[in-house]
Amino acid sequence: MPNQEQFIQLIRDNEGIIFKITRIYSRDAEDAKDLYQEVVYQLWKSFEKFRGDSKMSTWMYKVALNTALTHSSKRKKNREENPLNEAIYRIYEETDHVMDERIQFLYSQINKMNVMDKGIILLFLEGKSYEEISTITGFTTSNVGTRLTRIKNKLKATVNT
Amino acid sequence: MEEMQSLWKSMSQELNNQKKLTDKLIIDMTQQRYTNRFKKISIYEGAGAIVCFAAALYILLNIGKLDTWYLMLSGVITLAVLITLPIVSLWSIDRMKSLDLSKNTYKETLIKFASYRNQFLMLQRLAAYMAFALVFTALPVASKIKGDKDIFLTNTATLYWFIPVMLVFLFFFVRWGYSCYSGITKSAERVLQELDES
Repeated sequence: MPNQEQFIQLIRDNEGIIFKITRIYSRDAEDAKDLYQEVVYQLWKSFEKFRGDSKMSTWMYKVALNTALTHSSKRKKNREENPLNEAIYRIYEETDHVMDERIQFLYSQINKMNVMDKGIILLFLEGKSYEEISTITGFTTSNVGTRLTRIKNKLKATVNT
Repeated sequence: MEEMQSLWKSMSQELNNQKKLTDKLIIDMTQQRYTNRFKKISIYEGAGAIVCFAAALYILLNIGKLDTWYLMLSGVITLAVLITLPIVSLWSIDRMKSLDLSKNTYKETLIKFASYRNQFLMLQRLAAYMAFALVFTALPVASKIKGDKDIFLTNTATLYWFIPVMLVFLFFFVRWGYSCYSGITKSAERVLQELDES
């Protein structure tokens, strides 16, 4: 059983990161709240195994991004409605107000990218170095650089049109 | 790009200031997910496996009633399908779920997940064909065990309409299954190909 207090603190300190990842990898608010729960659950599951071999943030991004990758985005019929789901839904509704139009536009552009580029651009925007992006994604640093240049060019072309 | 990064940074700061999760909500999320996972396994995959194994056990207990070689062959095929189908299906689902999300990198997860999913879909297709074979073999077996009737000797009229109807159904079913399957695998292949190029 993971140390509950430490885990709660970890999630509370990083709830913004989970929000941003789930927002990028989900189709709609329904799907996002499902993914949010799944990320918290997967972090809880692997928290016990975390030995501090890497930075806590590296571990967290890894688990959250991998969860987002393997999360089924199929719309589930008769999704259970309960107080917990409603609470997470409220978080999304309230947090969406933080985002102005430019951020909404950026999100819409990232949503159009393929899964590999999504992960790389997210980590770049989060201020991660090429080395950190390489550790989390498994791409070489030079490959991260190449991909980022390609992404930047694509984004520039979209903004200019 | 720099502008985007600073925009993102200011949004992140605002998000950090807005602490919305409560301790209870965090614990509830982990607990509910854990319970739901257990429920899903028991309802969908578990129930299917139990039905198959129960049917297999029923045939095994009555295998002595299958007194001709062709009925025995039908019985053996039915048994094989009823036992292997749920085992293979549960195994492939378990393999997908057992991906270590904390150790694998993003790239490794992408590659493994795409190939596991491909294999899973292939198995699903195979399972559909096996289930179809089951329709042909289970009917004479059930007819003999339940009503002591050899359908090949006493009820040939049924066979005349049953086999053609089933073949037509099989044709459309396979065509539909193949189109679904190729769509999904193509997208997975695209991901793998892009990774190869990098």
